[in-house]
Amino acid sequence: MRDSPSSRRRILRIGGAAGLASIAGCSGLLGGSETGDGGDGGDGGGDTVGQIGSGRSPFGERDLSGGTSMSEMPELSGELTLYSGRGEPLVGRLVSFIEDLYPDLTVRPRYNAAADLVNQIETEGENSPADVFFSVNAGSLGALKDRGRTADLPSEVLDAVPDQFHDPDGTWVGTSGRARTIPYNTNALSESDVPDDIFAFPETEAFRDAIGCAPSYSSFQAFVTAMRALNGEEETRQWLEGMLELGLDSNYADEFLVSQAVADGELRAGFANHYYIQRVLAGRPDAPISTAFTEGDAGAIFNVAGACVLDTASSPDFASNFVHHLLSAEAQDYFARETFEYPLVPGVDPIGRLPSIDELNPPEGLDLTQLSDLEGTVSLLRDVGML
Amino acid sequence: MAADHHTVDDGGESLPLPTTIASGAVAAAVLLPLVWLVRTALDVGLDDAIAISTRPATVQVFLNSAALVAVVTVASVLIGVPFAYLTVRTDLPFRRAVTVAVSLPLVIPSYVGAFAFVSAFGPQGAFQRLLAPLGVERLPDIYGFTGAALVITLYTYPYVFITTRAALKSLDTTLIDAARTLDHDRWEAFRRVTIPQIRPAVTAGSLLVALYTLSDFGTPAIMQFDAFTRVIYVEFTSFGRDVASLLSLQLVAVTLLILGLESHVRGNEPLHAGRQGGRTGGTIPLGPWKYVALAACLIVAGIALLVPLGILLTWLARGGAEVGSALAFRPEYALNSVGVSAGAALVATVVGLPVAYLAAGYRSRLADAFERATYVGYAVPGVVLGLALVYLGTSYARPLYQTVYLLVAAYVIRFLPQAVGSMRASFLRINPALPEAARTLGRSSFGAFRAVTLPLIAPGLFGGAALVFLTTMKELPATLLLRPSGFKTLVTHIWTATEAGYYGHAAVPALILLGVSGLSMLVILSQEGYDVK
Repeated sequence: MRDSPSSRRRILRIGGAAGLASIAGCSGLLGGSETGDGGDGGDGGGDTVGQIGSGRSPFGERDLSGGTSMSEMPELSGELTLYSGRGEPLVGRLVSFIEDLYPDLTVRPRYNAAADLVNQIETEGENSPADVFFSVNAGSLGALKDRGRTADLPSEVLDAVPDQFHDPDGTWVGTSGRARTIPYNTNALSESDVPDDIFAFPETEAFRDAIGCAPSYSSFQAFVTAMRALNGEEETRQWLEGMLELGLDSNYADEFLVSQAVADGELRAGFANHYYIQRVLAGRPDAPISTAFTEGDAGAIFNVAGACVLDTASSPDFASNFVHHLLSAEAQDYFARETFEYPLVPGVDPIGRLPSIDELNPPEGLDLTQLSDLEGTVSLLRDVGML
Repeated sequence: MAADHHTVDDGGESLPLPTTIASGAVAAAVLLPLVWLVRTALDVGLDDAIAISTRPATVQVFLNSAALVAVVTVASVLIGVPFAYLTVRTDLPFRRAVTVAVSLPLVIPSYVGAFAFVSAFGPQGAFQRLLAPLGVERLPDIYGFTGAALVITLYTYPYVFITTRAALKSLDTTLIDAARTLDHDRWEAFRRVTIPQIRPAVTAGSLLVALYTLSDFGTPAIMQFDAFTRVIYVEFTSFGRDVASLLSLQLVAVTLLILGLESHVRGNEPLHAGRQGGRTGGTIPLGPWKYVALAACLIVAGIALLVPLGILLTWLARGGAEVGSALAFRPEYALNSVGVSAGAALVATVVGLPVAYLAAGYRSRLADAFERATYVGYAVPGVVLGLALVYLGTSYARPLYQTVYLLVAAYVIRFLPQAVGSMRASFLRINPALPEAARTLGRSSFGAFRAVTLPLIAPGLFGGAALVFLTTMKELPATLLLRPSGFKTLVTHIWTATEAGYYGHAAVPALILLGVSGLSMLVILSQEGYDVK
């Protein structure tokens, strides 16, 4: 530890045990590894930036398993305005880490909800100070693309992730993955009570009057958008109406609240992204909530958080290079251990007991860019009376 | 303030020119954000606009919002006016302490209150878990209309309480004495003398309550009640800025409707008739009723304060162990909050003064229109106003964009009516004979204003500034859009923590927010001594 690089020591000190041990709320998810400063090793780090990530993760005791280190990327210098739709508690350390690597780099992060930032960028028009937009979902990135506000990313950035995780036209790239899940109350249901086919849900009596969702929330809308893309308007409408007949409670404001309600026993099950369940457990480690998955359908879409460079970026090359850093081995490792998301760069493994990407069964043939088509989804949700 | 140059408008009364120009400029500045709203809404196209405006869902949320506004406003008057009367005019025990307690719910952001109520009184919330050993498995649903109305009322009735109190403090009790000598009983005297004198203040407070209710997003969302703001929010989050703007314009139309209604209620108020500038007489003995009154005050304030406090303390107890670098609390957040809030309070008081003076002193449509204009920014949701200023800032004031100056401007546009309403009500209680007398004694018009009028309106001035300060401390959506990058306040920190699910980290800034706001409330209430004698 003593001979760690100074930037690394700093990260360890400020992040400390705080990290995500507490998000998980249970060490099981960490798969026995520990984040933070209790480690005994230190053999991986050197004294220079160039050696960071040469094998040992700067974010805890774990070897970097694959991907390209930041040290192999072009240096960053200058001022960069980052509009981040990802919360500061989740990505703040990563941003500071990159900033601390380079003496001449200043990052001005601006945190807000992704949709609010898209609206802000759109409203700012050509006077936008934003260089890079970092989003929690593909939909927000697609929305900026649709409005012609994105710049093309260079192929070395796009090629860092498999094709299905970046925009086919090269305007945005996924940085980490998030799975759709079914949180369920373990006092009321067991995993086998949750069907693995989303279209079996409307006929599942165990859910009657006790399943909830957040229809105004972007992740739920992305799920419905995926169903429209995969199964068509009509089937989606029937599914929504069937769920409403079953007593789907569509009054929740967001999926964290859905997950809370499941943990409280107010609901037996709900619709939420995989990490919300972990956040509930962060506050209440003994809450009776667990995660179920559907297979190969819209209920199991694998959405991405990602980034794009804006058409107003003062230096597109500099901004693209920053995005490239989000795909570095260090950053991918960070997402795995700090936000419990799925790394997208091949060779960087997820943490602990989360099923690996290969074990998930997302639907095939879905282009994530299609998830920006929210207008049809909103009007459908409105038609059936959920909005 | 009364100047020698006068202008005549269709009301037939001549207005002082400099004050009119100042007042008009303020009104124009406040209405500027509407330019963006109209511009963006025009993108929808007429046919679609009509279809969207008349679809059943829109009509339904319109009715929902109207019902919510009506119920919350009436309930706030029913709580705020009696409490104000009790704390000013009667021998209620511990009056000062009760005044503080009854005012304090205003320091709690209504979305925090809503979240706390859901956590505490949800079907299987903390309260149920407490009662579980007694066999209570599920509490009645708190969600929906009842919950939204309850929470918004609990956190907005102080508007009526504070404005009414200011009016009662400077109420001329010689009139009541006169009425009493004319053989009117106490109720009759109240009805015929007190009510007309406090009516402008009560309507000013009610208007703030009504428009706050209309623009509040957080509470209806958490309480799962479909109000106007939720539809607007859905459009914004699915990137339908144009439709959201269109619906916001409808909201502005509803605001104008409410303003018209309020004008009608206050329409025939007497202008200065028989006001002496006030002499506050003895208090009314309540007898044994004083304990009932005390209990009523403490129960309302107690529920409003203890539920969120209890939940925040629970968060604090749970969240003690984790300390993330991004979430470590720093004192500068509190300083930032206090700084921008004090700035907003000061600016709102200064720019609101000519508007309030003109609206109170002259029976003029123009003066009324200027005053009404200040309410528009208050009634649109913060995110709408925020985006409008994003547009204006990036297009026409680039150097100011994402600086505290534009942020303070946003607060002033949003909360100006709190200062204007309070000051106007104070001006109304001043007999114009008093400053005129000072002028005949050789004072300049500004000198007369400073020597006579200013001390008389001081309670209204402080009351208004306090309201602006308190609400600015709580404001979130416009702050998120307009703050300088990296600028953090107490509420943005609370937002950051709760948004990521780290409730433990929200507790400290929330408690500090309550503390600072509570302190400012104490300062304000102690300033009431600076009063008419």
